[in-house]
Amino acid sequence: MALSHGGRSSDTARAAPLLTAAVLLVIVFLFLPLAIMFRFSLNKFVPGQFMVEALVLENYQKFISDEFYRGVLYTTIRVALVSTILSLIFGFPLAYMIARARSARTKNIMILLVVIPLLMGNAVRTAGWMVLLGDRGVVNMLLQMVSLTTEPIKILYTETAVLIGIVAVLLPYMIITLYSIIEGIDRVYEEAASSLGARPSEVMRLVIVPMAMPGVYVGSAICFILAMNAYATPVLIGGPEFHMMGPKVYEQITKVSNWPFGSALAFVLTAVTAVLTILSSITVQRRYGRM
Amino acid sequence: MNESSRLWKDMLGRTLYRVVALATLAFVLAPLVVVVWASFFSNKILSFPPQGYTIDWFIRAWQQDVFRQGFLLSLQLGVMATLWSLLLGVPAALALARYSFPGREAINAILMAPMMVPGIVAGAAVYIFFIEVEIRTEIPLVGSLPGLSIAHILIGLPWTVRLVTASMVGVDRQIEEAALSLGANPLVTFFKVTLPLVRPGIVAGAMFSFIVSFIDLEKSLFLVGPGRVTLPIAIVNYLEWNLDSTIAAVATMQILVIAAALLVSDRYFKLSRSF
Repeated sequence: MALSHGGRSSDTARAAPLLTAAVLLVIVFLFLPLAIMFRFSLNKFVPGQFMVEALVLENYQKFISDEFYRGVLYTTIRVALVSTILSLIFGFPLAYMIARARSARTKNIMILLVVIPLLMGNAVRTAGWMVLLGDRGVVNMLLQMVSLTTEPIKILYTETAVLIGIVAVLLPYMIITLYSIIEGIDRVYEEAASSLGARPSEVMRLVIVPMAMPGVYVGSAICFILAMNAYATPVLIGGPEFHMMGPKVYEQITKVSNWPFGSALAFVLTAVTAVLTILSSITVQRRYGRM
Repeated sequence: MNESSRLWKDMLGRTLYRVVALATLAFVLAPLVVVVWASFFSNKILSFPPQGYTIDWFIRAWQQDVFRQGFLLSLQLGVMATLWSLLLGVPAALALARYSFPGREAINAILMAPMMVPGIVAGAAVYIFFIEVEIRTEIPLVGSLPGLSIAHILIGLPWTVRLVTASMVGVDRQIEEAALSLGANPLVTFFKVTLPLVRPGIVAGAMFSFIVSFIDLEKSLFLVGPGRVTLPIAIVNYLEWNLDSTIAAVATMQILVIAAALLVSDRYFKLSRSF
């Protein structure tokens, strides 16, 4: 980068005062709290006494041996995996359509339409899904209008509803990531393939999708991480009987005040998310080469 | 397979692709459209189809303390987060874009961390940390304005750093050197030359800081307190027990604030071109 002014040491001297405040803020209010939380996850929780200083793996053992919490983790992983795959399947065609839009204007409008829901926030969109999926919601009204059902179908407070809500949260991330990769694929490859007799489906399967693999991987990783840590969607759309890890972390730390176990839950969630993301990255790279 | 059935299949495939793409777009937009629509229904109990339209729900929403205060608190936090993350983030971005020094990548990673660490994990950690500080110093942080502000500056900072750095990398350093060699001092050069050149990046950084602060759920969730609840948290708390047109009106208010932020910044930088 810019090295026109002197060497490295003078650069360091100039950069340091500009960076100090911002870096300190992040270290003091994010890294230090995370370190403290990790330390607390090794403490003991004694009901009535709150937290007792210790250095034990009790909380992690409790997580592994407790069938309920293992189930919560499985549900979280299942929902995150399925919603990531669904976002990929449904996001790809739209990403391709945006990348290949003929006029710049159409392209810009479509990008805005995809991104704006993201910027409006999860609380608002969750409210929208509850209005859509409730017993007196739009979907049930439409189903009754076409006489598919006479009694309202229970959609809200099911895993299907949670999947719908999470996929809607993930789609903009997936579409934008895929779009930016597909945009960079030269159209001549598609033209060459079709002029050599490939059918549209073959062009897609044999040319576009393989070349878009870096986007598929990055987009899926982002979506998987977001879905693993979902909060509002499982709480509101899933209802009180539906359990995912994010809401459990909140519950243990603020409502139950069991900091050691809540902290352990947070780190189990982080570790499982990281391990699964890295493992899938290795698998994908083995199959499709390095990205 | 004969030629006509092949063509037929190709056409079917193309149609299917378009239908799926457009349906996906509709799917992403549906919750927003429906929530705005439902906020105008005159039905006493929220149901479809509407029996008529009214703006009463907005008045009712504004009359409820939790929503009015939440709205004002979120605005205040958003503005505060924006100003502070500019104050801390623009110099940091300048350093990252301009200077080459050992550990540059690591520092960049540190500054991006608040965006990478999942909100619920970071929120839990900050909450525990604040309570520990409270116990030792007796300064109340959880449920206080300073506590919430710190968390919200942390939310905005990586966006400012990232977007301003990106816009600075494209600026020709020689323009600044020309100003300096013509006798402008470094401060004048910064305000008269550098700042106008990176304005799109700063506006983008400010807009994203404001929006991500305004809509934040997970971090704020741990830090709100009695009488001090942000708008998105107020919405989520209400939705746990009720679903009516009042909450649709509150959600529409949030949509309007974000839309206003987007419109104000649109003059200086084009959102659709930043992806």
